Amino acid sequence: MKLIYSLQSEWLKTKRSAASWLCLIGGFFIPLIYLLYFLIKHKSIISTGNDGSVWEMHFQMLLRNMKAFLLPMGVIMASSLITQMEYKNNTWKQLCTTPQSMTTIFIAKFMVIVLMTIKFFLFFTIGVLISGYVPCLIVNGELPKESLPYMYLIEENFKVFVLCLPIIAIQYLISLNFKNFLVPVGIGLVGLIGTMIGSSWEKIFISPYAFVFLDAISNPSNIHIYKVSLVHFVIITGISYWLFLTKKEKG
Amino acid sequence: MYSIETNELTHSFSENEKVVNAINLQVPSGSIYGFLGPNGAGKTTTLRLILGLIKKQKGTISILGKTFEEDRLGILNAIGSMIESPSLYGHLTAKENLRILQKIYQCPKGRIDEVLEIVDLTNTGKKKAGKFSLGMKQRLSIAMALLHNPQLLILDEPTNGLDPNGIIEIRELLIKLNREQNVTIVISSHLLSEIEKMVTHIGIINKGVLLFQGSLEELHQKQSLTSSIKFGTNDPEKTKEILKKHELIAVVENNFVVLPIIDNHLISILNKELVDAGIEVYRIEVVKNDLESIFMDLVK
Repeated sequence: MKLIYSLQSEWLKTKRSAASWLCLIGGFFIPLIYLLYFLIKHKSIISTGNDGSVWEMHFQMLLRNMKAFLLPMGVIMASSLITQMEYKNNTWKQLCTTPQSMTTIFIAKFMVIVLMTIKFFLFFTIGVLISGYVPCLIVNGELPKESLPYMYLIEENFKVFVLCLPIIAIQYLISLNFKNFLVPVGIGLVGLIGTMIGSSWEKIFISPYAFVFLDAISNPSNIHIYKVSLVHFVIITGISYWLFLTKKEKG
Repeated sequence: MYSIETNELTHSFSENEKVVNAINLQVPSGSIYGFLGPNGAGKTTTLRLILGLIKKQKGTISILGKTFEEDRLGILNAIGSMIESPSLYGHLTAKENLRILQKIYQCPKGRIDEVLEIVDLTNTGKKKAGKFSLGMKQRLSIAMALLHNPQLLILDEPTNGLDPNGIIEIRELLIKLNREQNVTIVISSHLLSEIEKMVTHIGIINKGVLLFQGSLEELHQKQSLTSSIKFGTNDPEKTKEILKKHELIAVVENNFVVLPIIDNHLISILNKELVDAGIEVYRIEVVKNDLESIFMDLVK
């Protein structure tokens, strides 16, 4: 029960925060670009004339664009912003003197980042639907005949979410240990760009920033990216937890 | 019974310098304990050690009869604290800041309005805490520390940056809390004058060492012991000679002969002897050292 209260408390902190705005803007950004493109070009997902599922094609098209850079960058920023909120407001000391175990604090804060990422995917999917439905109504005057593939959308979102977990974990670790916001964002950016440059290397999977990107392009090492992604997540989170518990100064 | 008791509490950030050196703090339950010392004396480090914000290196700490190792969450549930500058989420309103803590402490929601009223912040509405003045931030921090009705309140320089009116308001609030709700309060400051009107006990720390600890009365006794007596005469040097016969060591300061406090009987004998020796005595005055100068003497 204590964890739920701590989670509620952590979630309240995200209200009107930069991470919340980033989540909203980032989630709708690519769908909005496509919506404008469809409306300017007088096109819709029906008139693009695909043979397969129009929704699946539309979703994958938007997702591919997002996975290449925007999603990992958004996750880097959001994870860092949420964790750094305590440093920015000088509130670590307040948080660490509340009757919560350090484990509860660690998990609750981590879960908020995870929930924020899920919220990001939710906004993105809503954006996908809007950018699909609205042009159909305006351009074709009708809705697509194909019913919405709910399960497909959930599955695909979940798969990308799993690939994001190592980035969340590494950014959480760095943000917990550095007061300066520029450090986690800088390391994240360098890690991401470095991974992009070395994306053809067969051992690129050692980078926690690689998986979302590898899923968007070709996978040079033919590894099971979901399994390796989860291994990264577990190891990095374990290290992060240990460092958090053994910190000499809390706040 | 002591609400806080430390035994030989020692802490150093580097090998050569002990920031806190074998401190035996004893904060009686129900007291307002003024923890005094100049900037950098070790006050904040001591309070951070007590709250478990710094890993303890040497010594023991007992809070409300328990140690952190025994019951960390139980202790923290009974403490309200404010360490150094206010800890507030600048993008949230006063109520939202309190709501964050209300969720953790699971105290009644109505308590939020109660504490806002106590610190006179009921009309801040949608104004974000980041836009508050320093005084308002300090008061909101105190409201946050009070939210869960703590038995023990630890406030590190809570009047820092407040105007005289704000200092008086905080002082009255703390005295009220102590008297009406029997909350034990530890309040640190580097100015004795700021807290001497509210504290019942005082601990004076400098360079990591506790120089004095006791009740305010004990400090006042120390005050009378360090008082002096001033003789204003037309011949200070001759006066000094006469006093010397009574084995009294006097000094001449600004044409006054100053000596440590003596009893009234001896004063009258000395007066008579001075007059008999043809010296004009135009003033005899007891000079009481104020608490501030005792404090300054201790930390010199």
